[in-house]
Amino acid sequence: MTAQRHAEIFALVQNNIYEVLPDVEGREIKPGDRLTDLGANSVDRAEIVMLAMEALSLHIQRVELSGVKNVGELVDALYAKSHGQ
Amino acid sequence: MWGNWSMPSMPSRMDSDLFVTGCGVLSAVGQGKDAFLAALLAGDQAFGVMERPGRNNGTAFLGAELSALDMPERFPGKLLRTVGLSGRAALLTLHEAWEEARLLDADPLRIGLVVGGSNIQQRELALKHETYQGRLDYLPPTYGLSFMDSDLCGLCSEQFGIRGLAHTVGGASASGQVAVIEAARLVRSGEADICIAVGALTDLSYWELQGLRSLGAMGSDRFAGEPALACRPFDERRDGFIFGEACGAVVVERRATAAERGVEPYAKLAGWAMALDGNRNPDPSAAGETRAIEQALTRARLTAPQIDYVNPHGTGSGVGDPVELAAIRGCGLDRAAINATKSITGHGLAAAGTVEVVATLLQMKASRLHPTRNLEQPLDPEMNWVRDKAVTQEIGHALTLSVGFGGVNTALCLSATES
Repeated sequence: MTAQRHAEIFALVQNNIYEVLPDVEGREIKPGDRLTDLGANSVDRAEIVMLAMEALSLHIQRVELSGVKNVGELVDALYAKSHGQ
Repeated sequence: MWGNWSMPSMPSRMDSDLFVTGCGVLSAVGQGKDAFLAALLAGDQAFGVMERPGRNNGTAFLGAELSALDMPERFPGKLLRTVGLSGRAALLTLHEAWEEARLLDADPLRIGLVVGGSNIQQRELALKHETYQGRLDYLPPTYGLSFMDSDLCGLCSEQFGIRGLAHTVGGASASGQVAVIEAARLVRSGEADICIAVGALTDLSYWELQGLRSLGAMGSDRFAGEPALACRPFDERRDGFIFGEACGAVVVERRATAAERGVEPYAKLAGWAMALDGNRNPDPSAAGETRAIEQALTRARLTAPQIDYVNPHGTGSGVGDPVELAAIRGCGLDRAAINATKSITGHGLAAAGTVEVVATLLQMKASRLHPTRNLEQPLDPEMNWVRDKAVTQEIGHALTLSVGFGGVNTALCLSATES
């Protein structure tokens, strides 16, 4: 179930990326992709994270995600937080 | 002394005469110059109960709302996702003015932008407040950008590559004309070679509408059953302004810079003035409006009998309309033809002054003056009203007027380029 939950969060983040960055819609997002390389500026990155937090009902300070390097790490962080870690 | 060989273009570039060389407009009766002029001349209207989200909340205010905006492909979907109605309207009108004035061929470092309006995105903010009340943690980060009016400066300068200067100016319902005046000042002072004035779409929520109603400025529900009759500037049965979404943009520069791009001016910005009443309140003053008109005429080196057409502020306000007519008549402008653009568009608030400069320019170019809707019993029947139908008239010199809460009075003279 854990792997399934992780995959669900990845799919959620992918949809958030498509919403904020319509130009990449339909393109497969890989865990190693960096949001910047997908065309996101700092505001876009904040919007993507906020949409995911809202969908998962999470409360995460921006600073807690400052070390996140790519989509996979963002999903890991959201997954960890959603499991109270 | 220095010889003029080094900068041969200097004399003409330093010529003090300023011109409007491009314009763009949006209103509920027409989007773009051609549709707008056609709607003005036909005396169209688009009034009804306003239905935009964030504008009702149990109310049923009358007004005129834009139909869906057709955004050009130059604006990416990624951008538009976070741009509200005021921002989209600014981009669209600026695009129209930009293309017409061929500003792609101008030096972006020498282009300036002045956005007229304050607190222009209130409806978008009210919607966000409703949506995120009690869930503040999820407020979209772009709220931190869009609550500021200067967001429109950032948005427009980014999308058009403007690199000179940009700022907002406020003057309540005169904001749009104050922006044109400020653009003229910036070109005249040499801070910019070309300056664009945008009269921003004032996106009211039910809060501002209710405030304007409570203040007695906005019209009542008397014509709720017949919205087309509600907006009636200068008519005996008026009882306040009726809101209308609108946005306008004009490009101001000297003839020499326009000629470098092969652009023909619409008209000369012959003179302008701003005069204050020293009054925080909404009530107008004939003395203040008179001073603005007289100073604008003096600076344009014109006399009242030379003015062929007056585009008044004319909102349908109980007190404002007769005061304005008293000032116009007192200045000896009773010979000039007069109509009321707001009878067709509604009152665009911050946008109005710019939209009415555009309306004046388009009428001058077409040698046609639009009718005034609902002018059944004019306050001053002896004025030279354009009432039921558009008329053909050559306009050598025109005067357009704006008035704003807080005692703001502005006047702007536009002269045909031949004169």
